[in-house]
Amino acid sequence: MTLLALESCDVFYDKAQALHKVSLGVEANEVVSLIGRNGAGKSTILKTLIGLNRAASGRRLWKGDDVTALRADQLGRLGIAYVPEDRRIFPNLSVEENLRIATLMGRQGGWNLARVYDLFPVLRERSAQPGDTLSGGEQQMLAISRGLLTNPEVLLLDEPTEGLAPLIVDQLVEAMRLINAEGMALLLVEQNLRVPMKLAHRQYVIDHGAIRWSGTTADLQVNRAEIEKLISV
Amino acid sequence: MSTLIIGLSLSFLLFLLSAGLTLIFGMLGVINFAHGALYMLGAYVSYQIVQITGSFWLGLLFAPLIVAALGALIEIVALKRVYSRDHIFQLLLTFGLILVIDDATKLIWGFDYKQVPTPEMLTAPVALFGSQIPSYRLFVIAFGALVSLGLFLLLDRSKWGMIIRAASSDADMARTLGIDVNQVRTGVFALGSFLAALGGAITAPLVPIELGMGFSVIIDCFVVVIIGGLGNIRGAIFASLLLGMTRAVGFTYATEWVELLTFALLIGTLMFRPEGLFSYKGRSA
Ligand SMILES: Nc1ncnc2c1ncn2[C@@H]1O[C@H](COP(=O)(O)OP(=O)(O)O)[C@@H](O)[C@H]1O
Ligand SMILES: [Mg+2]
Repeated sequence: MTLLALESCDVFYDKAQALHKVSLGVEANEVVSLIGRNGAGKSTILKTLIGLNRAASGRRLWKGDDVTALRADQLGRLGIAYVPEDRRIFPNLSVEENLRIATLMGRQGGWNLARVYDLFPVLRERSAQPGDTLSGGEQQMLAISRGLLTNPEVLLLDEPTEGLAPLIVDQLVEAMRLINAEGMALLLVEQNLRVPMKLAHRQYVIDHGAIRWSGTTADLQVNRAEIEKLISV
Repeated sequence: MSTLIIGLSLSFLLFLLSAGLTLIFGMLGVINFAHGALYMLGAYVSYQIVQITGSFWLGLLFAPLIVAALGALIEIVALKRVYSRDHIFQLLLTFGLILVIDDATKLIWGFDYKQVPTPEMLTAPVALFGSQIPSYRLFVIAFGALVSLGLFLLLDRSKWGMIIRAASSDADMARTLGIDVNQVRTGVFALGSFLAALGGAITAPLVPIELGMGFSVIIDCFVVVIIGGLGNIRGAIFASLLLGMTRAVGFTYATEWVELLTFALLIGTLMFRPEGLFSYKGRSA
């Protein structure tokens, strides 16, 4: 079943068109990656999915229903969570408050504060600190955990491994694998193939605001040289 | 001694008003020029309630609630439409609100001064450290301190405070977590209006209730909010104490210097620490 999809979406920033007739979808339980170089339109796609950008034309679908007109808070409550590119930790909330605020919408599921602390023990140690005192990697863990605690059906992750040390990246990859193994679908945005090749079942390649290629990770392996060209800087 | 008491009671009144102003700015990004008008309305409504019921306490309780409801209405009907517009529209709108509220006040209550008598049980002076202190002043201090404490507990410890802080610092991120930021905005404007009216109701026995009363006080509140740092409620309490005490000491010992000192403080802050004297990195609300 397709959980979340865009259908032929055009998105503009003022007069500049950022997305051209973009269609894509995430199936239940699957890991999909969205790859493309800087400025390709990846973040714009995620923001359109979660309702922070409005499509000038086209539709947003949730389990086949048209949810184009819903606001971000309504989409969040449906079961879509967003881990933004710049993490956007609330600096004036403690680490624990950053987590607890995600539980307020009251969606039931397998993720709770204790389990998130088990997944990323460093967050438990830092629970009383202000959110903005964490290192980059810890902030990323916090942003992912905050998304998890809404107990979504699909988690949108915008470049979660960007700029982090290899050891932290490995830890995050393992966490994402575990999260998906428990049944959550992931839509993973990355600029390169390093992490997507480890995790994704299917992949979309985006360039200049349009989908240029899509297929399974095995297909991508076959066409790798051509795709590397599309995403290289 | 009485200087200290007057200073403290002035400080807490200033804080009730500036807390609302700074909360509204932090959440809505709007500088609410009509805040003084809501304060005035709080005084008039409490006067009306005292007229009808004869009870100061009912006025103190219900005037803020009535003005808070009016604040919510103003936010929903008018302010909501101008958030995405240029700041000049918000400025003009809240300025227009002053005119509307002033005219409505004239229509309802006329031009004459009104007065609310000091509640019976708080009329006797109290002897404190050798001076005679009006007990109502002490009540203002205790009540102001209690409300301030309650406000800090609400913001720091409660679920609602957590939502207000999150939505003030990153509205879109809060939205993705299922928070209806539009409702939070309405709630914060209502809370700010409540605090302004509470300030008005508690000031009512101390001053004549008149049309201009909102204006003089709002200037002091802007000074507090700027010195404390826009949107910074912790800064606002320190700035209120600073300004309240400065005023009280100034009026006792050097009346002609008070305004000069106040505005020197304001201009100095704007020039050298525009983020406020009491702000430290990344903190708001
Ligand atoms: N808020 C914005 N205002 C104007 N233009 C924007 C904004 N956000 C992104 N863009 C533009 O839209 C295009 C796509 O950006 P984005 O979706 O952020 O790309 P990516 O995430 O793939 O790096 C870029 O040309 C970018 O400059
Ligand atoms: Mg991006």
